[in-house]
Amino acid sequence: MTLGIRLSEGRFALLLVLPVLLGIFVVVLFPLLYSLWLSFTDVNVLRTSGPAIELFGVRVPLFRWVGLQNYVDIFGDPLYWSSLWRTLYFVGAFVLEATLVGLGTALILNERFAGRPLMRSLLLIPWSLSRVVVGLLWIGILDFEFGAFNGLLYNLHLVDGPIAFFKDGFSALNVLVSVYAWNQAPFAALLFLAGMQSISADVYSAAEVDGAGYWQRFGYLTLPALRPILFLVIVLATVNAFLMLDLIYVLTMGGPGHDTTTVAWLGFQTAFTFFKFGPGTAILYTLTALCLVLAVVYHRLILAGFEPAG
Amino acid sequence: MATMTPTATAERGYRGGRYKTRSAGSRFMLYGLILAVALWLIGPVVWLFTTSISYQRNLMARPLSFVPPEVTFDNYRMIFGLVRFHAESQAARILPSMLNSLVVASAVTALNLMVGTTAGYAYARYRFPLKTLSLFALLFARMLPTVVLVPAFFLMLRALGLQNTLTGLVVIYCAFTLPFTVWIMKAYFETVPDELDKSALVDGCNRLQAYFRVVLPVAGPGLVAAGAFAFMLCWNEFIIAQVLNTKPGTTTLPPVIVAMNGQTNIDYSVIAASGFLGALPAVLLVLIFQKQMVQGLTAGSVKA
Repeated sequence: MTLGIRLSEGRFALLLVLPVLLGIFVVVLFPLLYSLWLSFTDVNVLRTSGPAIELFGVRVPLFRWVGLQNYVDIFGDPLYWSSLWRTLYFVGAFVLEATLVGLGTALILNERFAGRPLMRSLLLIPWSLSRVVVGLLWIGILDFEFGAFNGLLYNLHLVDGPIAFFKDGFSALNVLVSVYAWNQAPFAALLFLAGMQSISADVYSAAEVDGAGYWQRFGYLTLPALRPILFLVIVLATVNAFLMLDLIYVLTMGGPGHDTTTVAWLGFQTAFTFFKFGPGTAILYTLTALCLVLAVVYHRLILAGFEPAG
Repeated sequence: MATMTPTATAERGYRGGRYKTRSAGSRFMLYGLILAVALWLIGPVVWLFTTSISYQRNLMARPLSFVPPEVTFDNYRMIFGLVRFHAESQAARILPSMLNSLVVASAVTALNLMVGTTAGYAYARYRFPLKTLSLFALLFARMLPTVVLVPAFFLMLRALGLQNTLTGLVVIYCAFTLPFTVWIMKAYFETVPDELDKSALVDGCNRLQAYFRVVLPVAGPGLVAAGAFAFMLCWNEFIIAQVLNTKPGTTTLPPVIVAMNGQTNIDYSVIAASGFLGALPAVLLVLIFQKQMVQGLTAGSVKA
């Protein structure tokens, strides 16, 4: 306990963060660099006897260096490009849907009504479910044979036969967008609500006295005040959409054909279904580069937009 | 404002349209919208529960009855091994994997609270070398595609002999949860006035004592938020557990449920029951600590 007195403030603080930084270094930074290395090699998972480095007595295999070959291969593969365009569609549609639905939900829940606290609790439910469960429960709703939505359409005599939501590629991709939005938009709504709550009530009263209607108040007061949160929601949604894997795993496995194969899924499949770690990490690294750019944007936002002015 | 009535004062905290002046039509529309939102949020979850207490044949019946004509707990009894059925060996994996999930999530949560909280405190209070850089590293770690690390984890854990162990999962999950914990705790400690630590220092505590005896005891809400969030992330994680712990009995709940879902000979109603059972702990945790979590998470990312 006497140690604390002798240390300078900076060193004391450094000591406090050291365990976390060490952990992040060992479990994030090192694997990140190792994955980068793997993306330049020909990895044979079964034969690890080649060149290796010793780290703290652990033998880490290095495999055969092939330079840019993996990257040349993936960029030469039309499947990579079609997956990339599909990913861009997925990201765009998801960001739009999650943001708009989140904002709309927040606007509704920001009104005063009986049971408002209960509604806010409900917001947390879709978000706290495991994506595995999210996928499962939407199977229960959309399935061709036993899906409740198909049952509802039948009961209302709206369809002749059940709809196969996952049979058509484009339909399956859009189902993925909507199911993921169901899982994520409530959290966006929560962030929007927090933002709306931080707007002073007096401003609204003044606007109302001046005769501003609901949509005028929304356009001139609420939306400008929510701008930083809007950016935050969009950045987070973009990153999440680029990286989404678990729902694809549960709902479509990238199919039918390759119609729901995104870049993340392609990389995952290459690495773990076909055990081609080299090309797999190369594909995933193109995503990582993108996320780094988004992280810089996010960091700027936090520094610029979210610190109280002045 | 001498004419301000008590009702008007009571309305001050409220930010939407004026309730009193809302016409019957607009009130009707509002409650319609609220009902739609409620249905959208929990309708699917309610249906998951409904299917879990139904027989598959009733789910496939057309016209479909949305109130189950027969209520049964057979699906749950199959999971608990109380009823023999053709896929009982599959179903028997659910409870042990749930225990694995519990062990992993609890260990990660405990480690997070021990290590992440102190770091959050340091970031909130002190200037030190590498502060900005390491904060950015944490932020990047939080946005990183975790799947890009999995090939490296696969080879590293194999070299360490930690493949198919819960220890391996704990170590890796810590890396993904710690950035969140640090972020949430940093935001929380920023709301604790630093006069508190200063007066403790004046009273003769050293910095470590000031932290442990004075600041940490008032950090309860932040700890609850960070802990519940870390637990939820671990409990729900699927991809890493699926890839790294492939040996039967070594993995967590989500991969086991997905494996059952992949079997065509298992009724959906049984899978729904396991899904509902698996979702329950995280959902309850979040609902119980919702106040702290909403505060912690929105403060951690919004800082408005």
